[in-house]
Amino acid sequence: MDGVMNYDIIIIILATGIRLATPYLLAALGEMFVQRSGVYNLGVEGIMMMGAFAGFYATLQLGSPLLGIAASLVVGALMGLLMALISVTFKAEQGISGIGLYMFGWGLSGLLFRLYVGGITSIEGLKAIKIPLLSNIPFLGPVLFNHNVLVYTAFLLVPLTGFILYKTSWGLNVRAVGNKPEAADTLGVSVVLVRYQCLIVGGMLAALAGAFLTIGQANMYADNITAGRGFIAIALVYFGRWTPWGIVLGSLLFSLADSFQSMVQVLGINFPYELAVILPYIVTIVALSVSYGRVWAPAALGKPFQRGTRG
Amino acid sequence: MKKKVLAVLMAALILLAVSGCGSKTETPAAETPKAEKLKIALVLPATVDDLAWGQSMVEGLKAVQKTMGEDKVEVSISEKLGNAVEAGSAIRQYATQGYDIILAHGSQYQSVLTEITKDFPETTFAYGTGFETQANVFAYDPQAQEGGYLLGMLAAMTSKSGIVGIVGPVESGDAVKYNYGVEQGVLKGNADVKTRTAYTGSFNDIVGAGNMAKTQMAAGADILTGSSQQAVGALRAVAETEGKYWLSTDMDQSAIAPEHVLAAQVYNWEKIVTKIIELRKKGTLGGQVLTLGFADGTIDLVYNEKLADKIPAEAKTAVEQAKQDIISGKLKVELPKK
Repeated sequence: MDGVMNYDIIIIILATGIRLATPYLLAALGEMFVQRSGVYNLGVEGIMMMGAFAGFYATLQLGSPLLGIAASLVVGALMGLLMALISVTFKAEQGISGIGLYMFGWGLSGLLFRLYVGGITSIEGLKAIKIPLLSNIPFLGPVLFNHNVLVYTAFLLVPLTGFILYKTSWGLNVRAVGNKPEAADTLGVSVVLVRYQCLIVGGMLAALAGAFLTIGQANMYADNITAGRGFIAIALVYFGRWTPWGIVLGSLLFSLADSFQSMVQVLGINFPYELAVILPYIVTIVALSVSYGRVWAPAALGKPFQRGTRG
Repeated sequence: MKKKVLAVLMAALILLAVSGCGSKTETPAAETPKAEKLKIALVLPATVDDLAWGQSMVEGLKAVQKTMGEDKVEVSISEKLGNAVEAGSAIRQYATQGYDIILAHGSQYQSVLTEITKDFPETTFAYGTGFETQANVFAYDPQAQEGGYLLGMLAAMTSKSGIVGIVGPVESGDAVKYNYGVEQGVLKGNADVKTRTAYTGSFNDIVGAGNMAKTQMAAGADILTGSSQQAVGALRAVAETEGKYWLSTDMDQSAIAPEHVLAAQVYNWEKIVTKIIELRKKGTLGGQVLTLGFADGTIDLVYNEKLADKIPAEAKTAVEQAKQDIISGKLKVELPKK
């Protein structure tokens, strides 16, 4: 029982929590745009798997994790496009098509891996980049400024997506399309185009989240590598009430609880393991139920747009 | 509308939790007219290349095929059948197609098997880890704690930081058995060395296992081990850190991290499958528990020659002595108390 929470241990818990939050944050920020435009894409997990494979495979073949990131973005855009085609153009029931996309992504990524890679192979993934000066700050340095590029990207995307959503005309269009598509349409905003754009952006970010797992964490690929993280990301969009700030809060809460429980187990602190592993879920659910006041959601969420009808 | 969305989301999460794995059944090759060809089917919870439980059995079957002749033994494999219901339908299908021996390679298949085996009295079934047998069902039971004990001793006598870290999957069955062996071995090897055991709560979350290994290492462990198919994730994290080493179980994982895997507990499934084939030839279709242990060579300890200089000589001597004591029956490694 050397289970005293000292200074170093706290740094490890916080730094690990930030690392663990990254895939949730990337995927959830993407899904936020998708849902803000009135579509819910439950296929995030499948897109993540495809992104995870694409990132891994490109890194393996081309020797550069940055090209792996590029490959995952392309694959994510294509998966987003596919979802847009099904749910926006063909107006299929969104929940069902999302689940379909999930299964498609899982099956296809597993198949491609078997065909083109075969067995477990490891790659040289992204390295942690110490930010000069900032990483020397006591406490904050090792916690915040010693991560790989995708971790920084994910957290920088929080203010950036906030700016795009609330301060740009495109962001206004997205919100309008998700709330009152008829009104937006009347004003000359193409509902279909905006939804396509959002699904493609969402797909790219989900794929990036997947690529983070293979080239920024595991440095290998295995079947079902996402292990449900895509679904947690969707839940975090609801938790965050479709805002970047809420999403980053939820992602951090969940991941810090996860990091904390891992350390509690490792240090042998007397705490039942069964409780420890579900702690992140409990904390998130409790926070959700305590904080939820007025329930707000994009009004047109889940409704395919048909010109001339009222949703 | 919102409720509906939540309902779908919940359904998806439940589906995910319950199924855990999709299925990709490799369609077995068309039945050959040759009657004397022995047909073996294998049902796996994870993949054929998991570098652990599943792959060790696949390689055992390949060895059997090589020894008996490719034309004498036909092997079909269905993987990713973590869901017992899906596995059940695959097992039934194999039985219907006339397979002679069907290996359901997971303890979770026990209850599914009891529903199927009575309908196919001529077929031999085997599953494990397990103890419950029937007239045509073998159960196999690797004494994972024995190798765990030896690896634990090795770890304790090799560790410089004085901390051995276990990255466990779910606190149950085989994992607990192995971990309990490691803990006893560490205590025997050097009572001052601590074992830290932590579980990820999943069998197949390689990213989670990798993160748990990183936390273990950050908190001071320099020799790590762990079982199940997610263990490669932990191994990969160890392989990225200078001065940290891994001990593998089920099979030798040194191929993917030759500089970091010190030693391995290896299951010799070829011997078990050969035994099942021979018993079947003699007319025994099941009813026995087949134990894997060091005594009959169905479990072995292999060292990574490349890292031989990392293991102190006295550690190796002590481990080899303990191994002989296990074989002779002088040393009994305790099983976890229920």
